[in-house]
Amino acid sequence: MTLQILLATSAVLFAFGLAAALSRSNAIMILIGIELMLGAANLNFIAFWRFSENPSGLAGILFVIFSIAVAAAGAAVGLSIIILVHRRIRSVEVDDASNLKG
Amino acid sequence: MMDLLEGAPIQLQAWFLGLLRSFGTPEWILAVLSALIIIGTIIGVFLVLFALTSVLERKILARAQNRYGPNRVGPFGLFQPVADGIKMITKEDLVPRTADKVVHFLAPVVMLIPALLVLAILPYGRGMVPAEMDSGILFFFAVGAGTEVAVFMAGWASNNKYSVLGAMRAIAQMISYELPLVISAIITAMVAGSLSPSAIVAAQGGFAFGFVPQWFVLTPWGFTAGLVFYIAALAEANRSPFDLPEGESELVAGHLTEYSGFKYATFFMAEYIGMFAICGMFVTLFLGGWQAPVPALTIIPSWCWFLGKICFVAFTMVWVRATLPRLRIDHMLAFAWKFLLPMGFAAFLSAACWHYAGRGPAAWILSLAIIGIPYLLLGNSFTNRFAVSRRTYQFSE
Amino acid sequence: MMCAFFNTVCADPLKFLGNWFVVLPAIVLLLAAGASVVARNLIHAALFLTLSFIALGVVFIALGAEFVGLVQLLVYVGAVAMVIVFAILLTHPAQLEKSRTPFSGLGPAGGAAVGFAVLAVLLAFIFASPLGKKPLPPSAAAPVAAIGEALMGDYVVALIALGVLLTAALVGAAVLAMDDKKP
Repeated sequence: MTLQILLATSAVLFAFGLAAALSRSNAIMILIGIELMLGAANLNFIAFWRFSENPSGLAGILFVIFSIAVAAAGAAVGLSIIILVHRRIRSVEVDDASNLKG
Repeated sequence: MMDLLEGAPIQLQAWFLGLLRSFGTPEWILAVLSALIIIGTIIGVFLVLFALTSVLERKILARAQNRYGPNRVGPFGLFQPVADGIKMITKEDLVPRTADKVVHFLAPVVMLIPALLVLAILPYGRGMVPAEMDSGILFFFAVGAGTEVAVFMAGWASNNKYSVLGAMRAIAQMISYELPLVISAIITAMVAGSLSPSAIVAAQGGFAFGFVPQWFVLTPWGFTAGLVFYIAALAEANRSPFDLPEGESELVAGHLTEYSGFKYATFFMAEYIGMFAICGMFVTLFLGGWQAPVPALTIIPSWCWFLGKICFVAFTMVWVRATLPRLRIDHMLAFAWKFLLPMGFAAFLSAACWHYAGRGPAAWILSLAIIGIPYLLLGNSFTNRFAVSRRTYQFSE
Repeated sequence: MMCAFFNTVCADPLKFLGNWFVVLPAIVLLLAAGASVVARNLIHAALFLTLSFIALGVVFIALGAEFVGLVQLLVYVGAVAMVIVFAILLTHPAQLEKSRTPFSGLGPAGGAAVGFAVLAVLLAFIFASPLGKKPLPPSAAAPVAAIGEALMGDYVVALIALGVLLTAALVGAAVLAMDDKKP
């Protein structure tokens, strides 16, 4: 178990999230991609914490705790915005929200 | 002799493993076997409890309604679970044609796994915790979150509008009541200074004035927090009066409409084992776990006390089911957010003040006041809002 | 302790069960995340996402960060996944439109290309850096008491700010999703 394997795992997870966020048309799917990217970043933090020379320094753990909480808040607000837009235009596809398109 | 009985489960396991070790089995097999013995014992005990409860609940409900319960199948009807089991196994397993087969199949499994997993952190007796975790309480709630996923999977995979509606109501109920549940559990963790269940049980040890137990439920904040936890536990386990998601007179069976036969039995089992798990958590957090109430009764083994307390709390849950009518969904949610949550916070504040005021008589009075005032204010606002207006009768001529 | 097996496992999972305790959930994590990204059915994508969250939580626990792993399970699986699922149910089209393609923007090829490019760059840096070749230190322990003391001690300002943020998010989400028409 080397640090490289863990970092590579989180890089693959990040790439999956990025691909989802860039290529899917459903707004909720884009949000899923964003959550995957945040999870990859959290995995990075924990991996570095585990391999650090000073494991009693809890900065990595605390950062991840805050990151999880902030991601949850972001997901909640994002989904309520998606529901609000759905009420207006009756669709969750991002291509349909093109009223201001120039 | 009582000490022998007290340590009997551990001694039995150690004797058996010693026997195997003398036959020369390798260490790692012994380690795996010791884990399997514990898992087997716990699951066996709880399955027997589940079977007994499924018939005893019907008999208690029946007696509360002035009739006999099932009394045909064996002495006093106690073999009814066997008949129920045979019925469930031999029933045809119907899956709707347009249902999502994989998700429909996995939902009962995902429902059962968290219910069984949380049995690992309960302290069944002195020194008898299967998995001693530093953050056992957090484990309980984290794994309990898996139940909500299972409810949604069951509701959505059935491809049935009413199942989806029932599942959404069930999830809304479970999420709303999770907050008072967690807050009241955290209060005990705060006073005991640790998230580990065995530490919380140990913090309720000892006897004040020589014979009064120091269980958390006997303090004002503990009583409130215990009541909040109990009510929220009823809601989390989808028990009456919070069983709108699976009430037969509402959306048929809610998210369980399209399940029959063994899958329904699995859901049933998961619900009852979950109920016992949350009873176990209530006993651990508030009723002193495996501690005896008076020093004279410590001769009875600790695991007997734990089992007895769980059975008592389960009995009160059945009693509540027999007594109270079902709550409507908006009443249920309003009750959670506007009454239980503020009372949970009041208990939190009260516990903190109790601790920092020195845990003496003044602290008791202060904590009682901190709970009493919000209770009176909230209670009044509630009764005024849901008051039934004067009835008007209209008769046709 | 009734069962030394669990005790030794929970003390340092990585040392006792070896690497498989991390590798197996990591494989499940990547497979579930991949399935979630390419799933056509939105609910399947959400369920695969839930599975990947669970696997990520197990990876955290396996690496010794038990508290973080449990918080991940509690918050992500119990709250975020449920909110995503609720949003899908509330915005589900009445009948499934077969004509709409689930891809837009860069399209599947573009998304995969950008993903591969970013992955290649990241992997190049990871495997080229000497930082990655550190040896595994002996067990890293993060007792909950220490986390609590850090949160209420050094990081208390961040904790209070997080509380304010969560309150604002909660109130905001509730206000946004409220019905427009007043009865």
